[in-house]
Amino acid sequence: MDAVHVRMAAVWFVLGALALAATVSTEVRAQAPAVDSAAIQILQRMTDYLGSLQQFSLDTQNTFEEVLESGQKIQFDLAASVVVQRPNKLRAERKGDLISQFVVYDGKTLTIYNSADKYYAVAAAPDTIEDALHFARDSLDIVPPSGDLVYKNAFDLLTANITSGMVVGKSIIGGVKCDHLAFSGPVVDWQIWIADGDQPLPSKYVIVTKDDPAQPEYIVLMSNWNVAPDLNDALFTFTPPQGAKKTDFIRMDTGRTSAR
Amino acid sequence: MKTILKVTVLGICLVLMLLIDVLPQLLSPGLQLVPEAHAVLGVRRRTARRTAVVVGSTTAASASAQTAAAQQQTAAAQQQAATAEKEAAAAQQEAAAAQQEAVAAQQQAAAAPPPPPPPATGAPLPLGTVVKALPAGCTPTPVGGVEYYHCGGNFYRAVFQGNQLVYVTAKP
Repeated sequence: MDAVHVRMAAVWFVLGALALAATVSTEVRAQAPAVDSAAIQILQRMTDYLGSLQQFSLDTQNTFEEVLESGQKIQFDLAASVVVQRPNKLRAERKGDLISQFVVYDGKTLTIYNSADKYYAVAAAPDTIEDALHFARDSLDIVPPSGDLVYKNAFDLLTANITSGMVVGKSIIGGVKCDHLAFSGPVVDWQIWIADGDQPLPSKYVIVTKDDPAQPEYIVLMSNWNVAPDLNDALFTFTPPQGAKKTDFIRMDTGRTSAR
Repeated sequence: MKTILKVTVLGICLVLMLLIDVLPQLLSPGLQLVPEAHAVLGVRRRTARRTAVVVGSTTAASASAQTAAAQQQTAAAQQQAATAEKEAAAAQQEAAAAQQEAVAAQQQAAAAPPPPPPPATGAPLPLGTVVKALPAGCTPTPVGGVEYYHCGGNFYRAVFQGNQLVYVTAKP
């Protein structure tokens, strides 16, 4: 009788342990971040490299989707070249586009100029690129192309909310062999293609906005990277051309234009 | 013997319960975080399917180039229409928003203001109304060094809304 009791106890113990193990493993699997460290490594190599560059220039081809009330998605395209000189100079110019326009930031002010209408507006801006990008987005509703990647702490910003990340594989973008990474977060899913050579620069960047049921995408193709461009201050300062007319921004923070 | 049988049956039952708990997650990847390889295969499969569609349409296009051209034109026309529709909708929305603001401002100023007239032709718009493009027939009218555009009883001033140059009704 004792032997039976001992055996019974043993069986119960084993079954209990099994049940516990299964439950725990299920929970761990559900909670564990499925972020592949290889993907993180490639991403960080890119952001470290880009952050280390004192100056660079590139061309971007941006496609963004707008959702009609019917739910139909329409794509709009915008070509722009971007020049960055850390820590406090930036120029974004729409080139070869229907609208000829540029935005310059010289460390003190941010100016936008439409050359067809000859209108420009100036706003006092914070003294670093990072703060100026923030200000441009929040107060002026201006988002320079691929601004996400220009931030010096781009890695922290990009990975702050990701719940999964993986290396999809290799891909050729614009003739450049790239590592294709895919990340997912609660509000956006995003993919990035990073050159796999000595200069780990991004070639493509796609963001899917998931809190809109139509899930519109933003796609930017990056080309003509120059990590040692020939720059001068004139590139980042605005001198009003003859006949240029000054106007204002409709500010997001105050909601009104300044009265005249 | 009876006890051992009981324990065995109980044990089998427990194992079955565990399997039921774990199996659906293994069988339906949609409900859980899938292993990386699986997800990658999923992406590849979708890509392949999309490529097949593109190839199919290319064949159709080469079979009848004229049809393709016509389709493209139709598509372009549709796109233009859609863009126009969208812009019109946006302009309407903005006009409506501005109207609401104007109404609120008027209500603060006067106790019982009459509702502003709808933006019909000829009727002046509330100040601060934003339009994407100037109405037809507006003439540049500089007042005190600032360029206004005058038409339909309204004065407009060009301002930047984001990176868009828009026109807002103003009082010179």
